[in-house]
Amino acid sequence: MDESSATGIVFSIQKFSTEDGPGIRTTVFLKGCPLHCPWCHNPESLSPRPELVWHALRCLGDGACLKACPEKALTRAGSVLQIDRKRCIACGICVEECPAAALEILGKKMTVTEVMAEVRKDSRYYEKSGGGVTFSGGEPTLQSEFLRELLEACRAAGLHTALDTCGQCRPETLAALLPGVNLVLFDLKTLDRDALKRFTGGQLDLILDNLRLADSRGIPIWVRVPVIPGYTDSPANIEAIARLVGSDLRHVERLDLLAFSNLCLAKYEQLGMEFALKGSPLFSPEEMLALREAAERAGAKNAVVSGPMRSNGPA
Amino acid sequence: MAALAEPAVSLWSPSDKLSPRIRKLRDEYFSYSSRDYFRNEVMPFTTGQPWDVVYSEHTWGVAPEVYPFMDAFKTSLLVDARTVPLQPEFWREPAIIRRALFFREVAEKHLPVQVLEGELIAGGQFNTASSRTLTKSEARKFKKMEKRYVRTLKELDSYGYGNAGATPGHLIPDYPTVLKIGFRGLREKFEALLAQAASPSHRDFLRALIICAEVPRTLAGRYARKLRELSARESDPGRRQELLRMAEICARVPEEPARNYWEALQSLWFTHILVMAAESYPGPGLSYGRFDQYLGPFYEQDLKSGALDRETAKEILESFFIKNNYVYDFQGRVGNNQGINSSFGQLITLSGMGPGGEDLTNDFTYLCLDVIEEINLLEPKPNVRLHKNTPDRLLRRVVEIVSRAQGAPFLINFDEISIRALEWIGLPKDKLWDYAPVGCLENTLQGNDRSGTVDVNINLAKAVELVLFNGRDQATGKQVGPRTGDPRQFRTFGEFFQAYEKQTLHVMEKLIGLYNLSDEIRARFEPVPYLSALVRGCETSGKDVTQGGPEFNFITMEAAALATTVDSLLAVKKLVFEEKKIGMDELIRAIAANYEGYDLLRQKLTNKAPKYGNDDPSSDELARRVSRFWSEAVTRYTSPFTGRRYRAGYLSWNYWIAYAPKTAATPDGRQRGTFLSNGVCPVNGADRHGPTAVINSVGNLNLSTIPNGSSHTISLSPSLARGREHQEKLMGLLRANVEHGSSALQINILDPETLKKAQKNPDEYKNLLVRVTGYNAYFVTLGKEIQDEIIARESHRT
Repeated sequence: MDESSATGIVFSIQKFSTEDGPGIRTTVFLKGCPLHCPWCHNPESLSPRPELVWHALRCLGDGACLKACPEKALTRAGSVLQIDRKRCIACGICVEECPAAALEILGKKMTVTEVMAEVRKDSRYYEKSGGGVTFSGGEPTLQSEFLRELLEACRAAGLHTALDTCGQCRPETLAALLPGVNLVLFDLKTLDRDALKRFTGGQLDLILDNLRLADSRGIPIWVRVPVIPGYTDSPANIEAIARLVGSDLRHVERLDLLAFSNLCLAKYEQLGMEFALKGSPLFSPEEMLALREAAERAGAKNAVVSGPMRSNGPA
Repeated sequence: MAALAEPAVSLWSPSDKLSPRIRKLRDEYFSYSSRDYFRNEVMPFTTGQPWDVVYSEHTWGVAPEVYPFMDAFKTSLLVDARTVPLQPEFWREPAIIRRALFFREVAEKHLPVQVLEGELIAGGQFNTASSRTLTKSEARKFKKMEKRYVRTLKELDSYGYGNAGATPGHLIPDYPTVLKIGFRGLREKFEALLAQAASPSHRDFLRALIICAEVPRTLAGRYARKLRELSARESDPGRRQELLRMAEICARVPEEPARNYWEALQSLWFTHILVMAAESYPGPGLSYGRFDQYLGPFYEQDLKSGALDRETAKEILESFFIKNNYVYDFQGRVGNNQGINSSFGQLITLSGMGPGGEDLTNDFTYLCLDVIEEINLLEPKPNVRLHKNTPDRLLRRVVEIVSRAQGAPFLINFDEISIRALEWIGLPKDKLWDYAPVGCLENTLQGNDRSGTVDVNINLAKAVELVLFNGRDQATGKQVGPRTGDPRQFRTFGEFFQAYEKQTLHVMEKLIGLYNLSDEIRARFEPVPYLSALVRGCETSGKDVTQGGPEFNFITMEAAALATTVDSLLAVKKLVFEEKKIGMDELIRAIAANYEGYDLLRQKLTNKAPKYGNDDPSSDELARRVSRFWSEAVTRYTSPFTGRRYRAGYLSWNYWIAYAPKTAATPDGRQRGTFLSNGVCPVNGADRHGPTAVINSVGNLNLSTIPNGSSHTISLSPSLARGREHQEKLMGLLRANVEHGSSALQINILDPETLKKAQKNPDEYKNLLVRVTGYNAYFVTLGKEIQDEIIARESHRT
């Protein structure tokens, strides 16, 4: 059990995580991402730095935070608390002073030991369900040294690990991490090189190289496609991805089609960010099932649909 | 996927797999208002003496919502009571014989005998309010003691301490012996003992048992005659054959041993309903024990011999299940307030381990599970025992039902955790594999154990209030508890905790005193010889089931508000003593004002203090201390009249609601009136890290000092239980709870939207069952308060 005091910025540790790999898992979300997908459902993960957020519904308007802030980053306009993000250094003093927990720092500096202490609490559940730990983000490979040590510590503790990556990293970085990974959750959004670049900043060739790299190591892969209206939801795109994973790659065990979610809207508002897909409707189960059929026709062996969908039940 | 698209309402309805016969019988049960030809309403029977008693308050003492009506019930039942003609020598008999003779008269001559069209299990009108058969001087003593009991009961209830009362039901009679040797066999056993019994009181007692053991034959005989009459008039040849067959069965059992599956179920049903008639207490907690273990062999034998096919077996079982629901007719006219009694808890236990830890699931277990899922009714309430060697097939089936059927009220009991605590209280280790829960989740032994449950109900949070106000009840200012000192003078949390312990002991002792009184009243004046014939130990000890006669006897104190108490102590510890962010004086003033005008302070207490339920070691350690303190202390008390010893449980039933208005604001930020926490669950919304963290915290309590069992309810959104992949994750969750968690778990798969719809359109959701602290209820029959509470609980989840 050789855990180091290496630190990283973690923005959430989610227990009983049931959507990020097999069994019952704990997902450790590392902060910072090289892409800027307009549909990102974890906008708080984009910046690599800790960030202050304000929960309007909880705010009592008592002003304790205004007085407490040493950087004078907080002002109030009417009932709205404004955070001057140029001034705010996310020191957390206002969070401490707020009686109502209306302020929160997203992103916490944690040591490997601290993360592992949390992760180990659910070992019994991993063991009984065939689960383990998933590292996600953001893009976890951005904190590659921290991540490598975490993977190492998991291996020492006998825990199954999954790495959830978008593949936008240097192949050497990925190669150094893969020995500690039992499953790769590989996010593949589109095979349209230009669209990918334009919407997300991602480089398709690099991403595909990394996908092949993981495949060449014989590590099981679940390819995960966020199905986003107007971006990635064309049958042609889904079929192209299905063809790729069904023919070129040997270790892709499953193709996840993740239905677009709008649950993240509130997070955008808290961070003072614009959600480009605001107002876009959810898919119906039929639409998602049709895409799954398309994927299967194109050669995907194990296509699985998940995510929120429109209810067909009585209103 | 398909499940997601299905209209919600269809989820609550019975399966379309039910046969037309069973569907009709089920509908008939639900048509209470139009079924005036067959209702199981209370039938009071009196000796006709002006001092007679047919209703005793202590029987309902644990149901505070009944207090305002007690006088009315008592008077109106007596006024309505039918006089049972008695021979003059009746009054020369000792009390125990009088009770037996009166019971025999009622069952043989007065209980109505009717058979419903198409049913396969006969018998359904058994709900009595029977005379206590007291002489004038006994009645005077009884009434005097009962008056004192009621006065103390209402006093302690008004302080919000809790309540206590010698509650009937809540045990598992020795049904397998009846199936094996019949009541004839029981009588022979009692006769043999009578031949040797030396003391006159033992002889009287055995005579009473023998009288009572004749009753089932006579009542069943009346059914046999009725069935023959009906068959003579029946035009449908198939039904005629059935009626004749049923007549034969009723002519045989429960007097004789059951020879086959149908006889076994009919025998069981007669034996069971007569317990309710004898106790004048329909349903609550009168449990079947390990149903699949003693019926499984009959089922397998008949299936093998070809005497029975699975479909017929299923219909007979379904007919039996439907009959169990007729206990609710008892409250048909009064409706049900707050879901009280909305789950009577005639519990059946399925599966579980054998003496060597091996799994005992059989084919009949799976048949029961199919019926439970398809028929979707409240009674009998199923409880499945899981353990280390539970096969995946059973676990998968359980999870499927929990996930898909939604409605099926389902309790899951964990063997290793249950057994560890039963051993701790001193029960014989080699018998514990054969334990079974009663009522909801209250663990006892079977057929030899009068360990009442929900006997004494304590509100743990009240002691916190008494510490803060130096023994005064905050609402009235009355000095009710001991003076443990002005908390403003406490220098350490240790002093505060010591005061908390003192106040807890005070509340416990008050409630124990109250229970002891009711225990004595019942033991002296209300023997139940019929039930004593069915609980091993009574016949040899010569003592009634109410008098400590059985082999094992405990009284259970059930606690509510554990998490409210723990979170309150955590807040005081951290914010007042450690960080000194809040002054004790300020806290007391804020609580006295119910936090009106102290919102900032209340927010701090709510948000800045640690909370139980998050798998946080230091919070859980304090929780363990609180839990162990009272649960160990309670075992030092015994009821003097019966010698029954006290032990602990976490059922909470509905007391977390009942005592909410009687508990001042608490230092966890809760205001007066806001519900207390229930069972071993965290305070609503205080758990922020999901079900694994909560289960870990519950396990960290170390529940080995809670022999009667601990109620834990978790709620999951339907999306977490969709499809096989996610159901396997739930299986993993349950397997983990086998090792570390509560002794009993209920899982609600509900989303708040559905609940809100059900609240608005109750007619569409009549069959929506939800689990509420160890019991189950039809959501739309719950009071709005509880409905809102459940919706809030569901909505807390993210």
